[in-house]
Amino acid sequence: MTQFAQQLVNGVVIGALYGLIALGYTMVYGIIQLINFAHGEVFMVGAFGGLFVWTRVIPDGTPAGIALPLVLLGAILTSVTVALIMERFAYRPLRNAPRLAPLITAIGVSLFLQELVRLYYPRCSAADTVGESIPRCGVTQGREYGALTDQQFPSLISGPNIKVGGVQIPRVSIFVVVVAILLMVALSAFVRRSRTGKAMQATAQDRDTAKLMGINTDRIIVVAFVLGAALAGVAGVMQGLQVGTVGFKMGFLAGIKAFTAAVLGGIGNIAGAVLGGFLLGIVEVMATQYAPHPFSGGAWRDVWAFVVLIVLLVFRPSGLLGERVVSRS
Amino acid sequence: MIRRFLRRTRARLHALAVPVAPYRVPVAVLGALLVVVGSWSPWATFSGFAGKMTLAYPGGARLYTLVLAAAVALAFVPLRGRRVAGEIAGLGCLGLALLTTLAIAKEGGGLVNVAWGAWVTIVGAVLLLLSLLSLPEEEGDEPARLPDGPAFGQLVGVLAILVTALVVVVEGLEIPSAGQFLAYLAFLGLLAAAAAKLGVFEWLQRAAERHRMITLTAALLAAAAFPFTQDGSNEWVRVGCSVGVFAAAAVGLNIVVGLAGLLDLGYIAFFGVGAYVGASLSGSPDSNVRLNLVFLVVIAVGAIFAAVLGVLIGAPTLRLRGDYLAIVTLGFGEIFRIAANNLDGFAGPKLTNGPNGIPRVPNLNLFGFDFGESHELFGITLGYFANYFFAELVLLAFVILAFVRLNNSRIGRAWVAIREDETAASAMGINTVNMKLLAFAIGAFLAGAAGTLNAHVTTQVSPDSYRFDESVLLLAAVVLGGMGTIGGAILGSTLLLVLPEKLRFFQEKRILVFGIALILMMRFRPEGIVPNRRRQREFHDDLSGADATSAPPGAPVVST
Repeated sequence: MTQFAQQLVNGVVIGALYGLIALGYTMVYGIIQLINFAHGEVFMVGAFGGLFVWTRVIPDGTPAGIALPLVLLGAILTSVTVALIMERFAYRPLRNAPRLAPLITAIGVSLFLQELVRLYYPRCSAADTVGESIPRCGVTQGREYGALTDQQFPSLISGPNIKVGGVQIPRVSIFVVVVAILLMVALSAFVRRSRTGKAMQATAQDRDTAKLMGINTDRIIVVAFVLGAALAGVAGVMQGLQVGTVGFKMGFLAGIKAFTAAVLGGIGNIAGAVLGGFLLGIVEVMATQYAPHPFSGGAWRDVWAFVVLIVLLVFRPSGLLGERVVSRS
Repeated sequence: MIRRFLRRTRARLHALAVPVAPYRVPVAVLGALLVVVGSWSPWATFSGFAGKMTLAYPGGARLYTLVLAAAVALAFVPLRGRRVAGEIAGLGCLGLALLTTLAIAKEGGGLVNVAWGAWVTIVGAVLLLLSLLSLPEEEGDEPARLPDGPAFGQLVGVLAILVTALVVVVEGLEIPSAGQFLAYLAFLGLLAAAAAKLGVFEWLQRAAERHRMITLTAALLAAAAFPFTQDGSNEWVRVGCSVGVFAAAAVGLNIVVGLAGLLDLGYIAFFGVGAYVGASLSGSPDSNVRLNLVFLVVIAVGAIFAAVLGVLIGAPTLRLRGDYLAIVTLGFGEIFRIAANNLDGFAGPKLTNGPNGIPRVPNLNLFGFDFGESHELFGITLGYFANYFFAELVLLAFVILAFVRLNNSRIGRAWVAIREDETAASAMGINTVNMKLLAFAIGAFLAGAAGTLNAHVTTQVSPDSYRFDESVLLLAAVVLGGMGTIGGAILGSTLLLVLPEKLRFFQEKRILVFGIALILMMRFRPEGIVPNRRRQREFHDDLSGADATSAPPGAPVVST
């Protein structure tokens, strides 16, 4: 029972991250029916933006309480900037192109961002030694380009684990889950209450009619990209805090998993993305523990996530909370 | 935005050239003379720059400027599109001359080291360009439609282009330095672009379609001639082998993506399934299946196994919108790789040896013919890779034949209908799910066959060869080359595999460049380098529509 509870906690933490990323997929999809494959890379770029702020921008000896918000801010700024450029120059020109075109563009963007970080991320020259504390190298000191290997991420939230009846809960995990839930609630309130949020709903329902009602739909699409990117940036930092390293490849799997989460909950549905995220995280973790023998364990974890996706598409393609999938020609 | 900028710049240049108009012909003749003289004179004051630069015989870049200057004469051929063709050649001539000059200056340490031949050529190119720009504006920037001419002429044209292609490839592979190779590529690209503006390629495409079997046979013969030009060396024949197998997979993927419009992001997994089947049943001492079958049986088993997996993956997802297929195939690709990594006897049943893969796959032996030996034919030694090269040509021929026959069948028409509008296709009585499933299974089948053969060529299989990157590379080959065309898939595969071999400095950054290339391609030329005519219409219907309305009455509107 303790073991089950422990795994449940682990699943919830992973699920919170999936949910945050999935929100970006679901918002963009809900409005322009585009699967933004590059969203996982936006998440990855955000994590590196946060790392950059910590190693290069803030001075040595900044207390974690001040550093953390700054790191988060740096991550959000980076990923939002990337998303804005991406939307303007890669996706917007293709808005009326055949369906295949933006999908291929998205793959191109995804490769480009990964390689950009892999080849040109300005890391500290001493940062390659894994295991030691991460150096702060300031703006002027030696730098090398490229993040070929995983980079260490500062552990800004430390302290002993909290024990609840035999279940170990790291402080980072509590932070991750609380922030994720707060953001999800805030986003949902924004979409339901605010003027822009209502415009988003209108655009999602019928773009042409929304335009006739005086909504600047181009701006609304940008808002959807920006909100999704900001959440992904935060998720990037939280993944760094949780795992301890960030790498140029982290966006690929996280992106697919988050997409799976979005489909699981019903793509285009905000509450669904959150639910799907938590559910996928829990299923994945439980499968590594309780799947029949040769197929349990961490090595098969990603396979189980995809199996969930495929099974879901067979039996309930519209997702848990989604409406019937309407095919758009 | 960029198009408008180009148009405006061009208008400004035309305005600049107006004073030249009365003396157009003398200026052009003078320019041409200067280019000829310049090309035959020394360009650098030092010897040893990139080959024969100081010799009087025009080699390398100087030959390119000379030929491009000659191509400017295209502007005076009475055909539609001639002005643009001439402009491309003229600009290319000037650009290549300028770039070479810069390269000489950089190599020699300053502009002092550029000899007078280079300057004369540049002046000549500028004069040529000025006289071109002073040509009056006329309707006719659309590529011309050349008359088909007699069947014999068409055949000669097709054969000529195939021989040219072989010569171009062999010559290109012999160029030692990366810079010169880039100049060579630029030169070829410019010539091809000029020819395209005159409608030469459309003409060739029609000719090839009319004499399909002859073209296919001749193309295979031309490709088969390639190992004979290599003097028994295995270096490029080995690359040729990779190109062959890659092209076979790319043509297969083109059925799925180009014809049926289904985005398959895990295609390499089917290829990998074939490779693992091939390696397991090959009699390799490391194989975990104690079975050694005849290769022709193995290739069938590999292909069918891949096709069955394709159906299993496709059946649940093809009922849904296309986007889901993309993500599920991506997931399947990952599942395959993870499974191949895990089935090592520890995390799962012992089947694939995990990360070590299955090494020591023996050479093929078909009907007593050992593929591992060199052979001598017509007095020319062929390295043992040549054997595999021929085997791959046979496979490629099979895949191409499948593509062509399917494309022109009821099934192919159904795929295109589904791609363009699924709802309408379904209303016309097409069973869209079955048709899509068929495309998916055939694609998987062909990839499986290619993979089975490839296991013998590379003599080992390991999970790392089947990563997502490889699927993307295949997709890039199809997209860059041209969705829905055979020539496109083959050209794309050749470029994607030969360029990194030739341009070593580029190897590290190739994925970055492919990413940018995919984005730019979708933005500016989504139909690829070798466009499928129907597909081109689909991507540019706004453009051709606008042209049709703005054309003056009586002007021939684009016809299909």
